[in-house]
Amino acid sequence: MADLDTKPRPGASRRDFLRGSGLAAASAVISGPARAALDEAAAEAREAQDAVPVLSGQVKITLKVNGQERHTTVEPRSTLLDTLRHRLDVTGPKRVCDRGSCGACTTLVDGAPVYSCTTLAVSCQGKTIETLESFDTGPEGVPHAFHQNDGLMCGYCTPGFVTACKALLDRNPHPTLEEVKQGLNGNICRCGTYVGVLKAALAAAKSMKGA
Amino acid sequence: MTMKAFEYASPSTLDLALKALAAPSSEALSGGTDLLCRMKDDVAAPERLVYLKDVKDLAGVKGSAAEGVTIGAGTLLASVVASEAVKASYPALWQTTLEVGTPQIRNMATVGGNLLQRPRCWYFRNGFGLLAMQEGKSLVRLGDNRYHSIFMTDGDALFTSPSSLAVPLIALGATATIVGPNGERTLPVEDLYRAPRTDKQRELTIEPGEILTKVTIPPAKGKNASYEIRAKQSHDWPIVLASVNLTLEGETVSAAKIMLYGVAPIPWRSAAAEQALIGKKLSVETAEDAGKAAVKNAQPLSMNQFKVSLTTTAVKRALLTAGGMKYWEA
Repeated sequence: MADLDTKPRPGASRRDFLRGSGLAAASAVISGPARAALDEAAAEAREAQDAVPVLSGQVKITLKVNGQERHTTVEPRSTLLDTLRHRLDVTGPKRVCDRGSCGACTTLVDGAPVYSCTTLAVSCQGKTIETLESFDTGPEGVPHAFHQNDGLMCGYCTPGFVTACKALLDRNPHPTLEEVKQGLNGNICRCGTYVGVLKAALAAAKSMKGA
Repeated sequence: MTMKAFEYASPSTLDLALKALAAPSSEALSGGTDLLCRMKDDVAAPERLVYLKDVKDLAGVKGSAAEGVTIGAGTLLASVVASEAVKASYPALWQTTLEVGTPQIRNMATVGGNLLQRPRCWYFRNGFGLLAMQEGKSLVRLGDNRYHSIFMTDGDALFTSPSSLAVPLIALGATATIVGPNGERTLPVEDLYRAPRTDKQRELTIEPGEILTKVTIPPAKGKNASYEIRAKQSHDWPIVLASVNLTLEGETVSAAKIMLYGVAPIPWRSAAAEQALIGKKLSVETAEDAGKAAVKNAQPLSMNQFKVSLTTTAVKRALLTAGGMKYWEA
């Protein structure tokens, strides 16, 4: 919903402060307005030769995130992860390696777990995007199983593990330990709490089927 | 680092994609797992990305073992793994696809993107170019070269060819189809690659503005298998991978194609290993002999002697796997 995007927050949060200072820094390096106008004219000339729309600069997009239509403005180079975190305040997926190597940003796009740091936001329009904010936090949910089984230490990789675990159990509700290991091997925990994570995944599978 | 700004087009047909790609400094984007990371590292800075995943005709696995299988370049690796036809008849390809990256990568990355990814050489990835020459000296030879080539090392290209899928596909005799402004051409998968002679040359033969549309694997006959040696169970490229495709007459090997990954700047065909095997019965001894023959002319660099023994082992185990033998019981 559009009103969520502009919802006022009480006081200035640390996130608002960081976002504000980032904008200030960015505007300091933007080239002159004349240059920008020239670039725009060149881009338009190129677009005229194309039969498909060519997006550049600021692009208005609509993303379906956790069941809600969210409207925002991004650049073509904005990743899904940065758009979720910085534009839509969906901060469950974490930015760690930013190179599709660690799994902390794992997000479900059309039900499949992908690395949102290596996915362009503009390419996700019309797709169903789910982050762990939408998961069941009750006793049958995956987050609860991680809590109960010590599936985290510092916790920064945990959202990625929880999301990959949910995706695995959606596809395979009765995984063996080996299948859990394969399903979660796109995520890294530098604290090394893998034993707890694997226990949590098996426990979540158990409680989901009500055993 | 944030990527440099670029234009973005997401055409829905191949024709529109070719038109959009005709603009200068355009690159095709598919899974993004390689290209976007190179852009973040400022090794690539295209002015336009043409997103190919909305061209639905590019994705899908068609055919059967009897008539051969065609895999669209836009097919997700996860879809290749899910294909019963690939799993049953082309285990060399299926096993290698299953071992690419991670579940998330296989949900994003495509067959075409895997075949056309750029080398993982750390000099290239840090902006020193494919040949990594400075003041006439090779940084690879001077520096850390533990993951570089052991064949063709008398040349200047010392990186290793990065596509693990190319190796089983070439062993299986697959062809690639490329569409460009001047029409369509079909070539053996091995002809997608070359060892560059200058820093200006790419290791890929596909031209700017062209799109790889599909790979076609001929009907499956004989036995094929892959064996991969890697440092980590996931998240990584193989250090060495061997793919073998054998034709048997009775128990005798009448024809063999043995391809290696991780040893040369192109997918490396080991004619020596093939010759060591042809006309013989496949056994632990002949598999080991073929593995030894494969590295007879290897010229490792200062830090990658270990790849020579890994290659011997990979060839031996791939052959035994193809023959239905368990290498750990041998």
